[in-house]
Amino acid sequence: MLHPLLARPRRLLLYLALWAPLALLLVGLVAAGSPQSRLAAVAVSLPPAVLYAFLCLGSWHLCQAHPLPATPLPRLLTTHFPAAVLSTAVWLALLAGWGHLLTSLGIPEAGGVLARHLPLLATAGLLLYLLATAGHYALIAQLAADAAERRALQMQVAAREAELAALRAQLDPHFLFNSLHSVAALCSSDPAAARRMIEHLGDFLRANLELSGLERIPLGRELQLALSYLQIQRIRFGERLRYVHEVDEASMALEVPPLVLQPLVENAVKHGIAQLVDGGAVRIQAKRRRDTLYLIVDNPLDPDATPSRGTELGLENLRRRLAAAYGGRALLTAEARPEGFRVEVRVPLVAAAASAAPTPTTEAPPAGLPDPRR
Amino acid sequence: MTLRALIVDDEEPARRLLAERLAAAADIEVVGECRNGFEAVQAIQRLVPDVVFLDVQMPKLDGFEVLELLDEPPAVVFTTAYDEYALRAFEVHAVDYLLKPFGEQRLGEALARLRERLARGERPAPPPLARTARAGAPLERVLVRDGERIHVLAPERIDYVEARGDGVVLKVGDRRLRKATPLGELAAELDPRRFLRVHRSYLLNLERLAGLELYAKDSRVALLKDGSRIPVSRAGYARLRELL
Repeated sequence: MLHPLLARPRRLLLYLALWAPLALLLVGLVAAGSPQSRLAAVAVSLPPAVLYAFLCLGSWHLCQAHPLPATPLPRLLTTHFPAAVLSTAVWLALLAGWGHLLTSLGIPEAGGVLARHLPLLATAGLLLYLLATAGHYALIAQLAADAAERRALQMQVAAREAELAALRAQLDPHFLFNSLHSVAALCSSDPAAARRMIEHLGDFLRANLELSGLERIPLGRELQLALSYLQIQRIRFGERLRYVHEVDEASMALEVPPLVLQPLVENAVKHGIAQLVDGGAVRIQAKRRRDTLYLIVDNPLDPDATPSRGTELGLENLRRRLAAAYGGRALLTAEARPEGFRVEVRVPLVAAAASAAPTPTTEAPPAGLPDPRR
Repeated sequence: MTLRALIVDDEEPARRLLAERLAAAADIEVVGECRNGFEAVQAIQRLVPDVVFLDVQMPKLDGFEVLELLDEPPAVVFTTAYDEYALRAFEVHAVDYLLKPFGEQRLGEALARLRERLARGERPAPPPLARTARAGAPLERVLVRDGERIHVLAPERIDYVEARGDGVVLKVGDRRLRKATPLGELAAELDPRRFLRVHRSYLLNLERLAGLELYAKDSRVALLKDGSRIPVSRAGYARLRELL
């Protein structure tokens, strides 16, 4: 494994910055001890002092091989002290070589520096190596903590994704069974309608699979999904199921979570229209108001019908999906009135906020929408 | 012997498919088709079919509620896409339970069972109260057939229930509606926080209670908001005091 300090230039710079004062201190001590040849002392000790920073990086591998809490203390001492001695010896040899080189280049005082300051330099070599070792252990602990935090975050993300997957509107199998039953019926009496129904079913299933995995889709595609659902149900329920949609062209490209409209329409059919002897109309509206998209689905209700738990579950599921996607900024309200059931979803238009359309200054809801203050 | 069959389903294609397949059976005659629970109750009373092919989820009344409203239910074959009602179907002695989509062979099996059942001359017992929607939870609506009319009552509209013969009479405003369910069975299904058995023969909607009068020693009368009075037994009074 590559040394973590070499892998990240920023960390390496930080290490060298910490090392610099120590190196300068050492050079200063050597220079102070050589009053006759200060310049030569600096020339001899400075480059090896810097070079030693890199030499000490070698202790990383030993630290990794002997992790702190797991390795007994005697083992640590017998590992790191010989290593310190060895690296100090190597370093002093380099220093000696460098001194010789400088002497041969015409700085005669250079050779004596090492000999004069051998105890100081040897002690410094040992201490610096051990300091670097301690630093490496600190780094290892830090990296482990970072990794643990990252894992915790990844687990959080995975848990959230799992929750979202569970919440993702599931295809109702009874819808499929009933539709297939209708296809079987149509095969002999109206083969063309049977074919249409199979095509609609194929479209609906494919769109359902494709879209449910995405985070955001254009409203136009969501509307298409809801409409293909309605077309299938229309073949089952006949004249009892009618539907209209009022979505302005400009709203079609706005981004919404997948399966935000279709479950509302499904609710409207299952718990509204299907409970009515003469059926009724499902109305879908989508209107943009500044940075908010209003999606409204309403349908008539049978006043005698018992409020269905299925509706509540379906809406609660969507409510939680919206909360997961938008925090508290999306809103789902549902109300049963004598004239029918009405669900309104407010989706914040995140990306489109900057390019907002001309905005009216009043606080009234968009034209055509019932005023909630009324 | 020809078996007279009624088809009840709110979806036209489903009715058509069944009619088509039953037409292939020589001993079955389809005498009618109904699109919802109301029509079904009326048609069964009028046509008295031998067998009804009954969908469960329908407008107004579901399949089980249809059965609850019949004095003498015919043999029943349920047809539905939902498998969760199978146990209830067994409880109401259904001949068979066909899961949509079902094929000719499966329908043939149901018909064989039907012929066998009818040949034995078995009459199904009157089914208990329909609880298709939420088993375990209190009844959310009470169904009463009043001649050709069917009342769907929210329980809170009932003032009190009085035992009469094997069934009950429901007092709803100024109407009195008969229902064949025994008082004990109805009491067990209604919300116990709202309806209290104040007397062996009376179940009282507590919201209608205006006051209590001592009538004789150990014998009281409940005064209702609309001025009517019903007897309260000693045990009923104890239950009332515990609740209030």
